[in-house]
Amino acid sequence: MPETMTQPLRNPLADRSIDVADARRRIHPWRVVVGILLLLVVAQLLVFLITNERFEWPVVAEYLFNPSVLLGLGTSVVLTIVGMVLGSVLGTGLAAGQLSSFAPLRWACVVFVGFFRGVPPLVQLIFWYNLAYLIPRLEIGVPFGPELLSWPTNDIITPLTAAIVGLSLHESAYMAEIIRAGILSVDQGQRDASAAMGFSRWHAFSRVVLPQAMRVIIPPTGSQVIALLKGTSLVSVIAMGDLLHSVQVIYNRTYEVVPMLLVAVIWYLVAVTLLTILQRRVERYYSKGLTRTAAVARVKTAAEVAA
Amino acid sequence: MMREESTTPVLQVVGLRKFYGEHEALKGVDLEIHAQEVVAVLGPSGSGKSTLVRCIDQLESIEGGAMYLDGELLGYEQYRGGLRALREADVERQRRRMGMVFQQFNLFPHWTVLRNITEAPIKVHGVPAAKARAHAMELLDRVGLADKALAHPRQLSGGQQQRVAIARAVATNPRVLLFDEPTSSLDPELVDEVLRVMKDLAESGMTMVVVTHELEFARSVADRCVFMADGELIEDRPSEDFFRDPRSTRLRAFLDRAGRSVDPGAAA
Repeated sequence: MPETMTQPLRNPLADRSIDVADARRRIHPWRVVVGILLLLVVAQLLVFLITNERFEWPVVAEYLFNPSVLLGLGTSVVLTIVGMVLGSVLGTGLAAGQLSSFAPLRWACVVFVGFFRGVPPLVQLIFWYNLAYLIPRLEIGVPFGPELLSWPTNDIITPLTAAIVGLSLHESAYMAEIIRAGILSVDQGQRDASAAMGFSRWHAFSRVVLPQAMRVIIPPTGSQVIALLKGTSLVSVIAMGDLLHSVQVIYNRTYEVVPMLLVAVIWYLVAVTLLTILQRRVERYYSKGLTRTAAVARVKTAAEVAA
Repeated sequence: MMREESTTPVLQVVGLRKFYGEHEALKGVDLEIHAQEVVAVLGPSGSGKSTLVRCIDQLESIEGGAMYLDGELLGYEQYRGGLRALREADVERQRRRMGMVFQQFNLFPHWTVLRNITEAPIKVHGVPAAKARAHAMELLDRVGLADKALAHPRQLSGGQQQRVAIARAVATNPRVLLFDEPTSSLDPELVDEVLRVMKDLAESGMTMVVVTHELEFARSVADRCVFMADGELIEDRPSEDFFRDPRSTRLRAFLDRAGRSVDPGAAA
């Protein structure tokens, strides 16, 4: 329906009879409608969760702190941390390589990133787990020359190492792109100034460029950590005892599929929420000096501390 | 001011050539800077002034000619009867003997003003932290910003940031200080505070190369002025003569256009 124009309020003398401080809050009818709809949906959801007995909440409560579930949660968290650390370190190197002025290194890094970003992580996990089929023995030696050390591949590739290798490589490709974008977001003037001060390349990169790139790197990295945490559930296919695998083992025995999945969901959500809070804090840390509001906020807190 | 001519110049630029792709940005530039001399580099936009100082500080590669700092070849070394590029660490060592002030200040925004100034002395030159900090505070006092030591650059005005940038460049006691249009990105009312600091530096005996559009500053502070156009250094004269008696028609036209207000007699 076309809205009818209300008559503008005129007060040509602009005497002090009108003051917006006396204005009442305007009611927005559509907000009321949407608000009521949301309330209905939430209420319906709660009723569903509470009254549907197949959720078997007592079973959820029983297994929530089950030692094997907690062990699985720990495995997922450790895999996430290890994958993220290795992925970030390798990703930083790949990002630097992609920005190198030495073309062959640049190409190699671009191909590496393209490959590991393109292969689904599940495929990678299965591949690394079956590496022994392709290479029966792992060797360290001179290329095309004598070998110095070697081990049977099956001694080295366990579900754990296959998971770490697969997830780290997958993660490194994504982190390389995120870090590269972060580095490119830093003004060229910062590199000029670093060079003019006589900083070494490493000093300029680690102390000047990277800390400023962090502001751009952190938000997508937070999403990556969360994606990786959930991605660890893939390792259950190679019999790695992560959170999902641990509840699967239980429901294969008890057939309580839904409540056990709820246990997993609850722990994933708890972990993701904690990670999100951590991400916000890290973001705030790296925004220091880089935004005016952050600077003002800091001056205020400093003043409060002093007072 | 007369200079002693027998000593080695602090900076020598001989036949310097620089290409950006096909475009020749510097077409064989010659320039000598002696100790304690202040040289202003003037010219229209795109004439190669900024490129010249960026090349001197080795922020840009060069394609021909040579540059010397205190007689030492910059950026290259002898190799099998010819030349080859220096390794990165040696280039860094050479850069440490020069200071640079940028148009966009380029302060490090994630550090306090104090750390901006002390980072290079402490981490690059190995000055003890306490001594570097004391020196930095002295310099900040000199540029009138002692109370801003713990501020972050973004909390300062453009003029204040540029004064900090000058203090940062001076903190390492450079042999020569290069200025790349230091006042060009400042609001007009902030230009003078920066020029005052630069004048003070000049009077204290700092060797300076100043790319600028501030003709009045060039005339009153610089010992010599050079004029560049289209990648060539066209005129190199003591400041008085430069403004009173320009030889080339291009400089005359430039001063006429840009500097009418500086000295009505100069262009007449």
